[in-house]
Amino acid sequence: MASNPPPSMHHERPPLYRDVTVVKWVVQVIALLMVLGTLWFLAGQAGDNLRASNVPTDYDFLSVNPGIDLSSGIDTDPDTGGRALWVGMVNTLRMAAAGIVVATLFGLLVGLSRLSNNWLLRKLGSVYVESLRNVPLLVQILFYGAVFASLDRVTKDVGPINGWFHISNKGLSMPRVHIADGFYQWVVVLIIGLVFANLMRKRRNAQQDATGAETYPLLSAFGVVVFFAIVGWFIHPIFGFIGNIFDGAASAISALPENVLQLLIAGGSLGAAAYWIRGFLNSRRTPAGLARLTDDDYFRMIFAAAGGLLGALFFLVLWPGLSSWFINSGSDFFEVLGNKFGGGRSGRPVDVALPEIVQSGKFPNYGPSGLNFSIGFAAVFFGVVFYTAAFIAEIVRGGILAVPKGQTEAAAALGLRRSTALRRVIIPQAARVMLPPLGNQYLNLTKNTSLAIAVGYSDIVQVGQTVYNQTGKTLPVVSIWMFFYLSCSLSISVIVNFFNVRMRIVER
Amino acid sequence: MSTDDATTVANDRLVDREDMIVCVDVDKWYGDFQALNGVTATIKEGEVAVVCGPSGSGKSTWIRCINRLEVHQAGDIFVDGIELSNDLRNIEKIRSEVGMVFQQFNLFPHLTVLDNITLAPIWVRKKPRAEAETAARALLDRVGIPEQAEKFPGQLSGGQQQRVAIARSLAMEPRVMLFDEPTSALDPEMIKEVLDVMKELARSGITMMVVTHEMGFAREVADRIIFMEGGEIVEVGTPEHFFTNPTEDRTKLFMSQIL
Repeated sequence: MASNPPPSMHHERPPLYRDVTVVKWVVQVIALLMVLGTLWFLAGQAGDNLRASNVPTDYDFLSVNPGIDLSSGIDTDPDTGGRALWVGMVNTLRMAAAGIVVATLFGLLVGLSRLSNNWLLRKLGSVYVESLRNVPLLVQILFYGAVFASLDRVTKDVGPINGWFHISNKGLSMPRVHIADGFYQWVVVLIIGLVFANLMRKRRNAQQDATGAETYPLLSAFGVVVFFAIVGWFIHPIFGFIGNIFDGAASAISALPENVLQLLIAGGSLGAAAYWIRGFLNSRRTPAGLARLTDDDYFRMIFAAAGGLLGALFFLVLWPGLSSWFINSGSDFFEVLGNKFGGGRSGRPVDVALPEIVQSGKFPNYGPSGLNFSIGFAAVFFGVVFYTAAFIAEIVRGGILAVPKGQTEAAAALGLRRSTALRRVIIPQAARVMLPPLGNQYLNLTKNTSLAIAVGYSDIVQVGQTVYNQTGKTLPVVSIWMFFYLSCSLSISVIVNFFNVRMRIVER
Repeated sequence: MSTDDATTVANDRLVDREDMIVCVDVDKWYGDFQALNGVTATIKEGEVAVVCGPSGSGKSTWIRCINRLEVHQAGDIFVDGIELSNDLRNIEKIRSEVGMVFQQFNLFPHLTVLDNITLAPIWVRKKPRAEAETAARALLDRVGIPEQAEKFPGQLSGGQQQRVAIARSLAMEPRVMLFDEPTSALDPEMIKEVLDVMKELARSGITMMVVTHEMGFAREVADRIIFMEGGEIVEVGTPEHFFTNPTEDRTKLFMSQIL
């Protein structure tokens, strides 16, 4: 044993009120309690005031017929408020997804043209960026709306290709490909094809590495998928048995006893805490054995244990309905899948419906069979795409300029062709710089689609406004808006961050 | 021009060798500024030529013209008999025969050391990956850092990075190596490790053109020293000639300043 340290080296515990660790944790717990208490108090006050002034805060309208018609979407005559908002959400998501893809491609083109050696392209790019990003988006959307509204009025033979493709002041109407009876069995074949395509891609890659010969791995993988898609078109009915598997899963879930599931959920909460504590202890373990735990570590473990216990109590006592919800929605989910994949649905995977022009009242309009884009959609779409593309162009330009000139020179000196250098050296590095601001632009685009209200496109805000005008449930609708946009934004952030982390350059 | 003309051969062992780099009256302007003024020189196969001179004398510009990182505006440059013109095919051919090492290394930071070295052999020479990697590991062994193959450039010291850059150029099996101040961005203790690699390379018989201020290196391995100032070649001669009795006054001044 080592000799005793001199008296001055003894670790003397300071009194609790002077112990840094204790003080730190106590202060944090108190701060947390104060914040929670304040929020609790404010929420209670708000609730009282709202009740006193008779402002409705309930969500009943979600299951009541709102009696509204929507200008476009998967269901233009929704039978409940919830359905109406759902249609609005789908419209917003459609707009955002399509907008992000097109704005990215277009912005890339404009950004590259601003870097081009061609004088005309460069100037065109500059003029585009400077004019588009300096005019408010709302003005641009209204402008496009006005332009499209001045198109010909819709008639039976408005053209340009009657029965196939129509353009008018009601927007665009074209043939629609829609899911038919055999679709889901066909998807099963496609998934099998994807597995084989992946195998093919790996094989081809290995082959290329081994021989150096170009083997086009992605192209051949795509070929495999196409092959399976064509074969599946004819043989998909034999995969009807997949439906039985889902049916079996549904009945297995509904056979689960509720109490056992409840206990399992509570146990899961405790288990999660125990798992965390075990991992934490392991992370503190030195090769020689258990290392000395600091006071901080004890605090952390105590909090984890308390959290797990509280969670278990919460699920057992305060929310006993959770298990039946799990069982019901789980079995419902698999029942739906069983129905979709089930046998006896042996039609074609997809069908095509031609657009039509109907005249129910005084004025003709596009019928529901075609794929219709209203002028509202077009106005918002062009608005957000052109506007966001201007910003994306600047991001692309900045990203490529941020790659040092030496990288291009080194690639050239090695004899790499310009295209190979771009693909292997410049773009991978530029993408790292571009990704975070690009994510911001995607968020902006998604949020900017709410300006659709200006041209009457049925996005979530427009639908929501109609709903609360009909029902007076302003606050609940606004809360749904906020929750929806928050979920969209967080999802985009998560995806962008995922790529961001994956592409980080290793240093030191 | 001095006693020893730039187109003549300095070292007896090179008398019968073929011309590798031939420059005839090369001119280069940046706007009004003339960076190269009638540069004429011939580098023989297997020769080690050191280009020195004060900053702004056009050394780097000249060496960068030889693989077309800069475009010369008048005069002719031939590398291994191929004329460096606007013909894209000639440029590609010359670049695949000429390796270059930069002052700032210019390694690709998003690729591992191994991928840095194999990139060009795989995508330009269409070599199988396994073969390219074996060759790359052999080169890393040659420059003395075989254990760094899986690391990223950012994890290496400056000297190690420059040695990777040399290995990367050698992977293309060039007949000529150009060095543009390869040790100027390095700490003193790292300069030696890079110079050692370059000395080994010089002895292996590859044609080398080195822009550097390392006169010790020049004295030890150079066949010829080319002294430039103001975009012109002032004096050409063996290291012995330079270190004992340079002819031109400007050369004397330069040598007295750096020795």
